[in-house]
Amino acid sequence: MNCRSEVLEVSVEGRQVDEAMLALLHTILLHRSTGKFHYKKEGTYSIGTVGTQDIDCDFIDFTFVRVSSEELDRAIRKAVGEFKEALSNSGSDGMGQISLEFYQKKKSRWPFSDECIPWEVWSIKVNVVNLANEQERQICREKVGEKLGEKVINIVEVISRHEYLPKMPTQSEVDNVFDTSLKDVQPYLYKITYQITDSLGTSVSTTMRRLIKDTLAL
Amino acid sequence: MFSIFRQLVFVVTFTVFLVNCVDYDILFANKLVNHTDSSKVTLPDAFLPVDVCGARIRDNVFVIFILVISGVFWLHRLIKFIYNICCYWEIRSFYINALKMSMADLPYFTWQEMQARIVEIQKEHQICIHKKELTELDIYHRILRFKNYMVAMVNKSLLPVRFRAPLLGDIVFYTRGLKYNFELIFFWGPGSLFENEWSLKPEYKRGSNRLELADKLSTRILWIGVANLLLCPVILIWQILYAFFSYTEVIKREPGSLGARCWSLYGRCYLRHFNELDHELMSRLSKGYKASSKYMNCFMSPLLTVVAKNVAFFAGSILAVLIALTIYDEDVLAVEHVLTSITLLGVCITVCRSFIPDKHLVFCPEQLLKVILAHIHYMPDHWQGNAHRYETRDEFAQLFQYKAVFIMEELLSPVITPFILIFCLRRKSLEIIDFFRNFTVEVVGVGDTCSFAQMDVRQHGHPAWMSAGKTEASIYQQAEDGKTELSLMHFAITNPHWQPPRESTNFISQLKEKVHREAICGQQGILTENHIFSSIQSESEPHSLIANLLVGPPSLASLNLGREASMTNHVVDVGLADGASALRSFSPLSTSQHLRSSYASTRLPRSDSAALGGGRAMVGSGTDARTASSGSSAWEGQLNSMVLSEYASTEMSIHAVYMHELHKQQSRGQLSRHTWHRQDSDESSEGIPDDGEAPRNLPRSNTFPCAGTPQQEGAPLHNTAQRRYGGTTESLSGGSRPMARFSRIPMGGWAEEAQASRLHDPVPEEGSEDELPPHIHKVT
Repeated sequence: MNCRSEVLEVSVEGRQVDEAMLALLHTILLHRSTGKFHYKKEGTYSIGTVGTQDIDCDFIDFTFVRVSSEELDRAIRKAVGEFKEALSNSGSDGMGQISLEFYQKKKSRWPFSDECIPWEVWSIKVNVVNLANEQERQICREKVGEKLGEKVINIVEVISRHEYLPKMPTQSEVDNVFDTSLKDVQPYLYKITYQITDSLGTSVSTTMRRLIKDTLAL
Repeated sequence: MFSIFRQLVFVVTFTVFLVNCVDYDILFANKLVNHTDSSKVTLPDAFLPVDVCGARIRDNVFVIFILVISGVFWLHRLIKFIYNICCYWEIRSFYINALKMSMADLPYFTWQEMQARIVEIQKEHQICIHKKELTELDIYHRILRFKNYMVAMVNKSLLPVRFRAPLLGDIVFYTRGLKYNFELIFFWGPGSLFENEWSLKPEYKRGSNRLELADKLSTRILWIGVANLLLCPVILIWQILYAFFSYTEVIKREPGSLGARCWSLYGRCYLRHFNELDHELMSRLSKGYKASSKYMNCFMSPLLTVVAKNVAFFAGSILAVLIALTIYDEDVLAVEHVLTSITLLGVCITVCRSFIPDKHLVFCPEQLLKVILAHIHYMPDHWQGNAHRYETRDEFAQLFQYKAVFIMEELLSPVITPFILIFCLRRKSLEIIDFFRNFTVEVVGVGDTCSFAQMDVRQHGHPAWMSAGKTEASIYQQAEDGKTELSLMHFAITNPHWQPPRESTNFISQLKEKVHREAICGQQGILTENHIFSSIQSESEPHSLIANLLVGPPSLASLNLGREASMTNHVVDVGLADGASALRSFSPLSTSQHLRSSYASTRLPRSDSAALGGGRAMVGSGTDARTASSGSSAWEGQLNSMVLSEYASTEMSIHAVYMHELHKQQSRGQLSRHTWHRQDSDESSEGIPDDGEAPRNLPRSNTFPCAGTPQQEGAPLHNTAQRRYGGTTESLSGGSRPMARFSRIPMGGWAEEAQASRLHDPVPEEGSEDELPPHIHKVT
């Protein structure tokens, strides 16, 4: 609960799902990444540089900025690819939600595994529409481009409100806050999950989990 | 919780052992045991050998079944216990590392200290990421989230706890079992309204599909009721065994303890403020315990006294004979049933003696009721001035019941609870859904809380309780019996460092100023050194309510003067003069000296009596103490907070009594405004009782229907109020009209006509009418 949650909603056409998701996720990660920490003695550290690059979208009239790190890009693309597949396989009315969650790890004693405590959750709700002809698609390109632009400004506003960020960790604790597995950039620990919502808004796994938790509560 | 699982093991094994492994014939000396060495029968002789015992257990299917169920239950408890141990370990390390309190010091810290520390570390570590600073209200909200909802629901008479039984009249039935079920249904059970500990499920916040949600809730209540019914025998047996094992020893040792009274569960819910922690509530109620017992014991029926005296005499004489014989020759005890009869006669005598009133008892119910009010803070209006009546006493007994009655209710609870759930609670599903939708507010950093718990006078204040002109609430939104105002004052006084929102600040400061002014006027009256003179002076001021509170014991002269004075002030002043002396009885005499030594600034330089000085310093130090304590050392800080918290309760008592008096004066001036008497919809289908009693002048409080329910003056209000109480009054307007299905009756009639036409509206439903209860709005 002690976690900020932001919700963004977009309505896109089938082909634009990939790029729209990439755009938004990369924008968020751009602001939630730093360069690699190089720890020196006496507990100080220096931060490496991070490059940025512009990416143009093919199916949307939009250009976004992302961190120039191939590894990160690959990871995000993979996640978005899975999401798109799930969305097209579901056959439902094309509503889905992808969540980018920033968390902190907390070391726990045996027998409990490490806990992941989220501190910020971005949920992007996607609504896929099907368009009939080329004319509408053209209009859609522009509209979605504008919408994405607004969303990006939204994201930046929220981020620059200077709300809670985890404290800068010492060298031993770096892995609890940052994702140090990448070579050239160091984002906060994140995970991407998605769910394809049906009309009731729940999925089987969540109901099972709730049931177990409830019996434990009893 | 650890005790439950240890007790469970013990009770089950012990009972099984007693039932199966003991040869009662030997124990009762019905069968002879052949012993080679001595003729005494020892305890192990009565135990059956292990193999016979085991065989008996295995043959008895019922016992096996019970053992299996209790085994499963015990295992579940064990897992929960282990999980909780880990949570407690974390809490412990939080205390030691973050709050910097060692376990040895922990019992000596006050709650205020703890709160102050938590607020401190929020600034340092930011444990709550949503806001920069936590206030005391946030902390209370998090702890008391669900309890506030329960208090609000009982306050608005939403839960079916009052019933009209055929023989017993108006009774209140609210047991632990019922409470557990309510909480299970609403808050944390499977499929409950809350999706996790801190937020209501989003579909319950919208008004678009309230009928389906009400149906879903109704089905769920049905299932839980049926589950209760199925488990009823098991739970019943458990309750009986548990009560037997717990209370028999107590009864044997001290039979009078069953005649003692305790605050009932309903009483605790009714008397609880919003945002009042358990320990604060218990201390308040414990302070009122003595006065309440005295009040209840005041009433004795002469017939019962005579009967009890005679029975006690006869039983006592038989007992005396038996004891004399036993003293003479102790072999009498070996005769069959002698010990039994001695014990039973002893119990009988003790019970009879509790019915015989104390010879030195003085019958002063009004005064006692005043003192009780000063501690419990809530009282229905029709009690004041009627303290001597039996009806008042009977209603008070609903709050403050015999321990024996409490045990009886707990024993009957497994049987009655399923029926209450299935027949009474289901009917209210729609109202409950509406309640949760209308009165839930999302507070940043806390989650969803009850909007009544915000203690906002503007949204939930009651015009008859000092909020006239300040409140925008409709009848549906007002909290009854002045709960909003009293809770606000209580919270402000208990947490002096809390910064209330602006309107509340105005309200609080106005009230404090009034009380303060009265106190000063009263004190100035005393300084003139003429007792009678001072009471004349205080009477001449029309609103010198508190003046008399700090005056010395009411002399006969002042009482007489009071009677000769104008009629309107008469009852108030006399009542207050009585109350004054009663209140002084609990003003802390010893700590008044303490105050004078530890605080440099006292208001007035001289004082007549220690109590008066204490009283004055009490009021004066209300503001001074806070400034004085800010610059003191840590130890003094601790002392200050403890002393302050004790003063807080006295200050609150004074404020509570003042508010009640003001409310009484205000409501006397408004005879026409009659707060609607809201009964449970199922009970009121009997129609409105049509006794010809003269209409009472005082408006009735909604949560305490009294015997004389609204009569003629209620009738014209029926029609106007009917629209506002769609769900309940349609049954009140005549028992002949069958209870329409609840789903068709809109709740809160003013909003729903517009809503019926709208179908799917994802935006929160805002009725087009004026006063719509707030849905969700961010409160920061």
